[in-house]
Amino acid sequence: MRQIRRHRPLLASVVTLGLLLTACGEDDADDPTAGGNDSPGDSEETPTGDPITIGISLPLTGDFSEPGKGIQEGYETWAAMVNDSGGLLDRPVELIFRDDASDPNKVVSDYESLITQEEVDLVFGPFSTRLVIPAAGVAESYDMLFVEPAGAAPEVFEQGFEYLFYAAPAIASDHYNYLAEWILGLPEDERPQTAAYAALDDPFAQGTAYGLKEKLEAGGIETVADEVYPPGTTGFTAIAAGIADADADMVVGGTQFEDTVGLLRAFQDLGYQPDLAAFSTGPTLPEFEEAVGAASEGVIAPVGWSVEADLGANQEFAEKHREVHGKEPDEDAANGFTTGEIVAAAVEAVECAEQGEECQRALADYIRENEFDTIVGPLSFDEAGRPQSAHMILQWQGGEIQIVLPEDSEVQTADIQYPKAPW
Amino acid sequence: MSGSLFAQGLALGLLAGGLYALLSSGLTLYFGVMRVVMVAHPAFLFLAAYTTYFLHRVTGMDPLLTIVVTVPLFFVVGIGIQRLLVSRLAPESLAMMSVLLTFALALLIEGGLGVVATGSYRSITVEYATSAVRVFGVALPIDKLIGFGIAAVTFVAIFLILRVTRFGKALRATIQHPTAAMLVGIDTNRVRGIGFGIGLATAAIGGAVLAIIDPFFPAAHWDYIGKLMAIIVVGGLGSVQGAAIAALLLGAIEGVVQVSAGATWAGLIFYGFLFATLLLRPQGFFGGRLAERF
Repeated sequence: MRQIRRHRPLLASVVTLGLLLTACGEDDADDPTAGGNDSPGDSEETPTGDPITIGISLPLTGDFSEPGKGIQEGYETWAAMVNDSGGLLDRPVELIFRDDASDPNKVVSDYESLITQEEVDLVFGPFSTRLVIPAAGVAESYDMLFVEPAGAAPEVFEQGFEYLFYAAPAIASDHYNYLAEWILGLPEDERPQTAAYAALDDPFAQGTAYGLKEKLEAGGIETVADEVYPPGTTGFTAIAAGIADADADMVVGGTQFEDTVGLLRAFQDLGYQPDLAAFSTGPTLPEFEEAVGAASEGVIAPVGWSVEADLGANQEFAEKHREVHGKEPDEDAANGFTTGEIVAAAVEAVECAEQGEECQRALADYIRENEFDTIVGPLSFDEAGRPQSAHMILQWQGGEIQIVLPEDSEVQTADIQYPKAPW
Repeated sequence: MSGSLFAQGLALGLLAGGLYALLSSGLTLYFGVMRVVMVAHPAFLFLAAYTTYFLHRVTGMDPLLTIVVTVPLFFVVGIGIQRLLVSRLAPESLAMMSVLLTFALALLIEGGLGVVATGSYRSITVEYATSAVRVFGVALPIDKLIGFGIAAVTFVAIFLILRVTRFGKALRATIQHPTAAMLVGIDTNRVRGIGFGIGLATAAIGGAVLAIIDPFFPAAHWDYIGKLMAIIVVGGLGSVQGAAIAALLLGAIEGVVQVSAGATWAGLIFYGFLFATLLLRPQGFFGGRLAERF
């Protein structure tokens, strides 16, 4: 039973922000003196001149409205920060939002009209693979740079898009890269010899688990169990029984929240005690500890962004986000912000922000060839727009989330505990 | 597949079968006594699980102890539903119209739970239920053992009520021949109301058990109704024992399929058995000659 989508015309109407936040910006647009205000010395003042308009369609209603709103807030925080510090190319930025109601057809017409009617200078991506692919198709046909904050599934990068870049540390199959590296770096007699996998039948969840599986198998760690279960599964004991029977040294879950909890409790029930347990998504949420209690101890997960991490402008971002939205930023907001950071860096370097193949291709080429210092760490991209970094690895220790990998990095907050305590 | 894994799957399947048996006994009562196909039974199961969850969270009550509250509550609600809704349906189209009516109830409950408790998963972790007893190398999770025990006790209680008490005799008489039962002075309306109440009370007990063994979310009840319908058809409609045997049997097979072929296939075996029963023996395998056909 799927919920009925409600279209809300009110929300779907154009929302303008950014420029409006800076009170005098609008007046100055017609001010004849505004254009001359480009001396580098006063870049910290309120930007003047024609605003750079950025068109964005997001699922603000419908199935993806939660993450959609998170990304919108991240974009808004980015625009507020840019305008506070002198704008882009000394011009203020103005965000134009459309609500696509999580509908792939609507997202296409949104970007069409943003580019042709609103004549925006730049576009930012929407949320989720399902909407990113059709939207990127539109951007591609108008030669518009398309940096997107969501859509990590492999097929996004297999469409031959030339203007698409995913503004997060890694695609699904690379989430566990630091963990794979660390495990394979252990001395032969200490490292796990066998591994078991359980994955939800979903491209993203399976992508994370199977990315690690491939690397561990190549490194000689034997796969002794590999279970796949359909979405909506609630009974996990029998699934866990197959893994417990194989008694693997380590267990990996390609999971969301609820199945992480279900599997973990089933392992506890069956008395299965692996030396290492890693689950996608579930353990990154604060509710995890509440759901499983002391069994959280030692559980590992990949995480793309952390509010504590002292990376790039992360602390400024978090502070500004609290100021603008009155709440803690989440990973969706961080991905939206990262998108803005990358585009801004390219615009400042290439010194253009306008429609037309010349400028947009120069921006895309710049992004493809350079590394960016973002709030999720340094990011660079391959030919297809895949980010070339990896997720940090967290571990629950004493009821707290600690970043344990990569080792000896500025984000690490504790040493990894291995083997983990029994649950 | 190793022998130990087979034994493990079988054990887990039988333990799950206990809950199925308890739930299908309720369905059997509704159908047997009133020819009502109660599609909302699993929805009430989840309503009970959520009631248990919130009672546990707010008052700190042991989740299993909450049945002292939920069982009387559901019993009364059951009588109310029978009196106010089911008894208004025309007798000649009762089986069909009751599907529609209870389908609506199921949607209402699911939607209501979604509004109050959101669509995300909930679960209750109790300290005493996170380990397992080992018998010949087979792990028997304590929470599932407790669930099976409660289901078994409830089931035996229902069976005894039906066999030993005067009310049980009246209920069985109403099942066998409502008109004849009325002729010998049985107040069949009252019996039907109480029968419905008992049926719903089994959902209350099942809900408390479910809450401690599996995570749950509002829409999960659809998964159960298919399984339970298959069980009562295989067992023979209207037969409480038949439903119990079928529940344990199908639960055990599900468990073995789950550990051997995987979770995606396990859900299918119920429907496989449903088809086979309809083809080979439409009155069910354990129902005896009085069993009904759909």
